[in-house]
Amino acid sequence: MNFELDDDQIAILDAVGGLLDRHAGAARAIELAAKAEYDHALEAALCDAGFLGVALADETGSLEAALITESVARAGGVVAVAAAALIAPGLTGKNLPGPIAVARVDPSRPNRSAPIRFAGHARTLLVLDGEHARIVTLETGDAEPTASNYGYPMARLSRAAMERGDDLPVGSGARLARWWRLAIAVEAVGAMGAALDTTVEFVKNRRQFGRAIGSFQAVQHRLAECAVLVEGSRWLAYEAAYADSEQAGVGKDGVCEERAATAAAHATAAAGRVFAETHQLTGAMGFTREHDLHVWSMRLQALRVELDGVSGQRRAVALARWGRSH
Amino acid sequence: MEFHWSAEDSEFREELLRFMAEHLPDDWEEISKGGPGSDDQATFSREFCALLADRGWLTQSWPKEFGGKDASPWRHAILGEEMWAAGEPRGPQYMNVNWIGPTIMEYGSEEQKALHLPLISRGDVLWCQGFSEPEAGSDLVALRTLAIRDGDFYVVNGSKIWTSYVNHAQYCFLLVRTDPESKRHRGISILLVPMDLPGIEVREIPSVVGDRYFHEVFFSDVRVPVGCRLGPEHEGWNVVAYSLQYERVGAARYARAARMLDALAQYADECGLLDDPTTLEKLGEARAACEASRVLTYRVIDLRAHGSPPTADTNVARVAGTLAERAVADLAMEIYGRDGLEYGSFADSHFRLAMTAGVAVGTTEVNLNLVAGRFLGLPRDS
Repeated sequence: MNFELDDDQIAILDAVGGLLDRHAGAARAIELAAKAEYDHALEAALCDAGFLGVALADETGSLEAALITESVARAGGVVAVAAAALIAPGLTGKNLPGPIAVARVDPSRPNRSAPIRFAGHARTLLVLDGEHARIVTLETGDAEPTASNYGYPMARLSRAAMERGDDLPVGSGARLARWWRLAIAVEAVGAMGAALDTTVEFVKNRRQFGRAIGSFQAVQHRLAECAVLVEGSRWLAYEAAYADSEQAGVGKDGVCEERAATAAAHATAAAGRVFAETHQLTGAMGFTREHDLHVWSMRLQALRVELDGVSGQRRAVALARWGRSH
Repeated sequence: MEFHWSAEDSEFREELLRFMAEHLPDDWEEISKGGPGSDDQATFSREFCALLADRGWLTQSWPKEFGGKDASPWRHAILGEEMWAAGEPRGPQYMNVNWIGPTIMEYGSEEQKALHLPLISRGDVLWCQGFSEPEAGSDLVALRTLAIRDGDFYVVNGSKIWTSYVNHAQYCFLLVRTDPESKRHRGISILLVPMDLPGIEVREIPSVVGDRYFHEVFFSDVRVPVGCRLGPEHEGWNVVAYSLQYERVGAARYARAARMLDALAQYADECGLLDDPTTLEKLGEARAACEASRVLTYRVIDLRAHGSPPTADTNVARVAGTLAERAVADLAMEIYGRDGLEYGSFADSHFRLAMTAGVAVGTTEVNLNLVAGRFLGLPRDS
């Protein structure tokens, strides 16, 4: 056991931090959101610097990919980094052409899907369809952009597009779900961390009744409770991302089903609490596009409802731990 | 970062589990329902801790000079996890090895170390903790129990409250005010008081938590030798702060909660409830809370293993532990329904142990204050 970053991990985080300082940040996210655009320049920069390939590189793995994904989420990057750095390598053992969107077939929707993050800009689609996963190359006309306030460019996909392509073997569906859950957890941890930081800064500086509102215990305890949830989510996500072949409970697919679901269940539940408290404590200012909070908070809602939402993540935990097949 | 156990640590855990399977009595489950302070468990702890001591496990993370093996804090954490998961067969002695011993090592005189550390590492001594008073609960520095110097003795008068494990204790880790004119943090000292001194009276406070759980301890002109003072006179608050950092995550209560949850899921399965999405969801929620508590406790152990000074990560972990315990206890009541209302039933036993979680060892509110101030950097008043 060792919870400290090693020298290589520190170097990776420094390097990706520098890149994000130049290419990402809340102002950039707000500018792109106004036009519902994707940050192709940021994706290219991350790709060129090798950050999207660390999961499969010799000296690094999925934990480093998770650390990078968290950093990009913290910086409000409008890129499908989790799919590129974590999910695609985890599912296929290789890097796929980006941008990459991830979707699940919903039998109750025969014509088109619910809004899917990045689907309008994606070249590659990873589809979860029961026991199978599919890799689909998207074509013009597959996606129909959807207006959304939830922090990511979104589009609905035609059912035909989602059914194109060959099924990966039985079990690939569960494998995709595992990596997808881990990705949701890691992205939520990054966004929650930034939302909490910006709110802490706000309540330190905002004065009412002659004092900083952050000095009121009623405010402090709510942010402290959020910190407990975010820290728990963060370490659960790192532990889930740490795929060591000798580790108990980790299959040859790298990530442990129970750990990924646990990280996602805790993080998506925390996301709801963090959204509510950060917006409550930043008052009307926090709702404006002038303040940065919405860059992260609105994304938390999108992450909360993905893959059956919080309740689905929790059921996945229970089934992984106590389900009949175990 | 590495989130796996070394081969040696895994081996130790397996050996420990085999040892427990061999040495816990057949009626252990029944014994353990009373909690670490019950008569049965306190009595059994002497037998069991002596066996742990024989194998060098009880205080293996202590330095060699104090009878330990210099093992990493992780080793002690594994021991704590398996002990709590099984219902703590060390009884109240978990306190000795977690924080009383380490605090004596740090602040004790040579005589105190020579007397107490061997007793603790042999597993043959029971302690209680004299912190809270009727007017000093969360606001511990409001304590008023006086210890007035009279030659080579302190004369102690006052009372302590909510004291657990006292009915078997030979020693009390007692906070007193040695300077009667002092206020708040100044003027406090710590006395390691033999419980058989004349003038100490113990009364049980009946409670819904269980029999012999809370006590009040009265001190009337108790003459305590000056040599029993731990650390400097009037400057005992630093010693308390040191001990609290060890105490707050000393008990691996998440491990107990996680074990209870596994048993609860098994019961739910037998009742056919694992097909019910709502039950699955609640089980998953509680499991995530237990796991969050586990990783946050590991974070504190890791900081200790790296020699870091205490941080507010300890308070983060403590709050998470309370959330986990409550989640499991509430769910146990919900799944067992009215059967949980019977005294001593599975749900009842766990519920009663869990109900003190947010109050014992510093309230959740005190921990949240520390998280807000030290972890988030929020201002006290400005």
